[in-house]
Amino acid sequence: MMKRSRELLAYLAMITYLIALSACKSGETSERSPHMHQGASGSDRFEIRFSPKWHPQAQFAGIYMAIEKGIYDQYGLDVILAEPFSSEEALTKLDLGEIDIGHFDLSQAILANRDSSHIVNIGQISQKNSVMLVGKRSRGISSIRDFNNKKLGIWRRTSHIVTEAFIKENSINIQQIPIDWSVNIFIQDAVDVINVMRYNEYYQLLQAGFSEEELFIVDLCDWDLDIPDEGFYVRPAFFREHPEVCRSFLQATIDGWLYAFSHPDEAVDLVLRIMQDANIRANRAHQSWMLEKMKDIVMPSASEIGILKREDFDKALDLSVKYSNLDRKISFEEFYPYAAD
Amino acid sequence: MKNSIPMPQIKEERSLAYQLISFIFSVMLVIFFGSIIVTRVLYSRVMLDSQLDNMRHLVHERIYLIDGILEKVEALARTSQDLATNHRLDSAEFDRYLQNLLTDNSQIHSICLADQFKSKAAPRVMYTLRHRFHKREIKNMDYRYQDWFQIPYITGKAYWTEPWVDHEGKGEMVISYSLPLYESGLISGLLRFDIELKYLQGLITDRSYFKIGDSFLVSSTGTIVAHPDQRLVMNQSLFSLAQEYNQDALAKLGAAMTSGENGLVKIGSSSPFRDSWVYYQPLSSNLWSAGIAIDQTYLMQEINLILLIQTIAYIIMFLTISLLIYVRAMSVSRPLKALAEAADRIGSGDFNSQIPQSRSSHELATLSHSFTTMQTSLKEYINTLRITTEEKNKIRGDVIYASEIQTKLIPSNTAHPFGIRDIRAHGILEPAGDIGGDLYHYFLIDEDHFCFVVADVLGKGIVAAMAMTMVSTLLPSIAPFYKRSSAMLGELNNFLCRNNIESNFVTAFLGVLEISTGKLEYSNCGHVPLFIRKLDKSLHTYRETHSTALGVFENLDIGCDTIQLDIGDELILFTDGITEAMNVRDEFLGIKGLEKIVNNLRSTSPEDTAKNILNDVHNYARGSSHKDDITLLVLDYKHPGIGIND
Repeated sequence: MMKRSRELLAYLAMITYLIALSACKSGETSERSPHMHQGASGSDRFEIRFSPKWHPQAQFAGIYMAIEKGIYDQYGLDVILAEPFSSEEALTKLDLGEIDIGHFDLSQAILANRDSSHIVNIGQISQKNSVMLVGKRSRGISSIRDFNNKKLGIWRRTSHIVTEAFIKENSINIQQIPIDWSVNIFIQDAVDVINVMRYNEYYQLLQAGFSEEELFIVDLCDWDLDIPDEGFYVRPAFFREHPEVCRSFLQATIDGWLYAFSHPDEAVDLVLRIMQDANIRANRAHQSWMLEKMKDIVMPSASEIGILKREDFDKALDLSVKYSNLDRKISFEEFYPYAAD
Repeated sequence: MKNSIPMPQIKEERSLAYQLISFIFSVMLVIFFGSIIVTRVLYSRVMLDSQLDNMRHLVHERIYLIDGILEKVEALARTSQDLATNHRLDSAEFDRYLQNLLTDNSQIHSICLADQFKSKAAPRVMYTLRHRFHKREIKNMDYRYQDWFQIPYITGKAYWTEPWVDHEGKGEMVISYSLPLYESGLISGLLRFDIELKYLQGLITDRSYFKIGDSFLVSSTGTIVAHPDQRLVMNQSLFSLAQEYNQDALAKLGAAMTSGENGLVKIGSSSPFRDSWVYYQPLSSNLWSAGIAIDQTYLMQEINLILLIQTIAYIIMFLTISLLIYVRAMSVSRPLKALAEAADRIGSGDFNSQIPQSRSSHELATLSHSFTTMQTSLKEYINTLRITTEEKNKIRGDVIYASEIQTKLIPSNTAHPFGIRDIRAHGILEPAGDIGGDLYHYFLIDEDHFCFVVADVLGKGIVAAMAMTMVSTLLPSIAPFYKRSSAMLGELNNFLCRNNIESNFVTAFLGVLEISTGKLEYSNCGHVPLFIRKLDKSLHTYRETHSTALGVFENLDIGCDTIQLDIGDELILFTDGITEAMNVRDEFLGIKGLEKIVNNLRSTSPEDTAKNILNDVHNYARGSSHKDDITLLVLDYKHPGIGIND
């Protein structure tokens, strides 16, 4: 009996191997894929090393939920969360094969393909730009004209092509001060205007005692600069080798998001626990706000989940050409393998 | 037989003791609640003020302590800044100076010098660890984007940072005082003095010191940087708590604390500051603020104790008063009960029952005395009543005898009086009381003369009956001597005038019938008319009177009339008891009424006629309270029906 079972397992393993072999077009390896390993359920699962773009917070609640609820497992994936890196570092790690899937903003990803096809989009999670510029009315800022001759705190590590476009298109003369993530520089009046994410830094300002009325807010979405933020990216080779894995990863993540949106308390509990474990400052009000805003960003409508729209790509490409001297014509199909779907 | 009145159903709760106790209870309840409210309102203000003073004192002392440390660090930093700017120390000398500062001042956690613009030396952080001095060069240039560097660099002003973790130093959470170094009016570097946050937290959250409540520290952004609940520290701000727990009071507290105000505010129950009063006061060195939150229950502990004591005192007082009232009420109600029992015994006929005498109160003594007096009076009254009743019974016996005698004086009804075939008679006498003043009578004067009389003595009772008796006995005795109706009545009149003590007068109708011829001689002395009912049922009324009533004037001249009776004539004689019978509307029957009754008669014998008339009169008078003697005498003469029914 035991012998028969072993024979059956060996037979199944053979089939799996053949399938994996056929998936690898080049067929350069005759060994078992390094990604494949035995999961808890006994079945083989594909190991994915994924690096989110920032430290744990409700911005990634869908991913945590998919891990927590075993959704990736159900898709045959074993997702390992890597440290968040800066975009440049993440790109290098992706090149070196230290991570399989990276998290980049659309404009960053386009610029990463400046010379050749470097990364491809396998799922566009954000459907909406969240960047806002905020100034204190008490500092005399009540229109975008008042931005002139002021100081703008702008993130130094991310692409701010959208902010650039806004400033240039409105001919604003503002001094840009590169900053990290703290909003204290704004609170302490070291800068007059600061860029914030609606779901994060903006709420930090509210939690530092500012009221909406005290702030002059420019929502870049309202200025025809709605370039979506983060999506999932892999090397073109990885996509060619593991198209189903990429598809499964996206689908499982979407399922995770849908679960998080329909169980917000549970999702926030999970996020808070993860943040606490990672020794990151967190409070429920902030993470609840973030999750609520992420719902608008990830799922503006039921039909717009996880896909990259051609018009968003075209807009981002235009801005990159205009404000970041992108001189290579990147095709939508090259950038987004699912373009034909 | 005991004639007892049933005791009204009065519940036990309505006893004197119960009523007194419940009344006192109600009054005391009102006083109790009044005093509780007054105590609570007055004392809670006093307690709150007193606790506020306490809180103010505690917070002030801690602030003084923290400010002392912060100001000292500020002063050392400024001195160092001055030294670096004005005294042209070289890099190594300045580092030695800072090293000495670190060694001499335990409050300084670490010092960072980023003077690369001036000395071209690498930025470095200095600290002591296990009594050894360490100096580490900062390799990662990212420090230039940290608050401690960037903010004072841009503003040119000294800056107290929010708590942060210095990974280049000891890796602890610190707060930093950072100030720019100048050379030739330009910023040449940044100098940073760090204080370990844990040190400041210890000063604020020292439980041995802050026994009465939770003390806490918030930074200039409202972030909670020290609190006994570590989960809040650095995670929550007063504003985030306000949002999470939907408590506007917390947001207001945050706004007040971050704008350097001081005051007292009440926070609701649904937050980590559950139902507490918060006193807050700003630090003078940076924009931080310290507060202390005292649980409402703690604050109200003393007042609650006072209220508890007050309540217990009231309960004891109430119980004592109730007991006293009960005992006293019992001492009153016991003799009352005894009196009630004595009254019951007297009521059931035991007039010699002993009345209990109470001296416990004036009112009870008076009541006992009144009961005794009442008992004596009752005994006398009952005695008198018994004698009176006996006498009355005796008189009544006499009256009943007299009534019987009177009845016997009247001729008993037979078909033919004295066996006279040509005459039938039937008389009815119905006295209003036991005995009456009316009479009818008939007798033979001689073989051929039949005398009949109907009389009515004015008044009722014994006297009238006696007069009637005199009349009914006198007439037969004088009739043989006088024979004529007028003479007989004249004699009767004189007799009455002489012997009538009460001066009662008498109306009378007397007739003498010559049986053989049918000639009737009669006299009517103030009496009602005579009815003669003929065989053809026609009625003749003889109204004329021959004198006034008898017994008033002596030697009265009394006339008479004579009529010839026809065969079958029926004579109907009556007294005014018939004609003065009243109906319910107080209307007399009258002569006309009686004529109507007689006209409707179908009777053929005196007995039927008499009974039918009486029956009709009774019907007429049914329901009326008026009552008079009724007398009716019906005779007929040679009626064709005589003998048929005999």
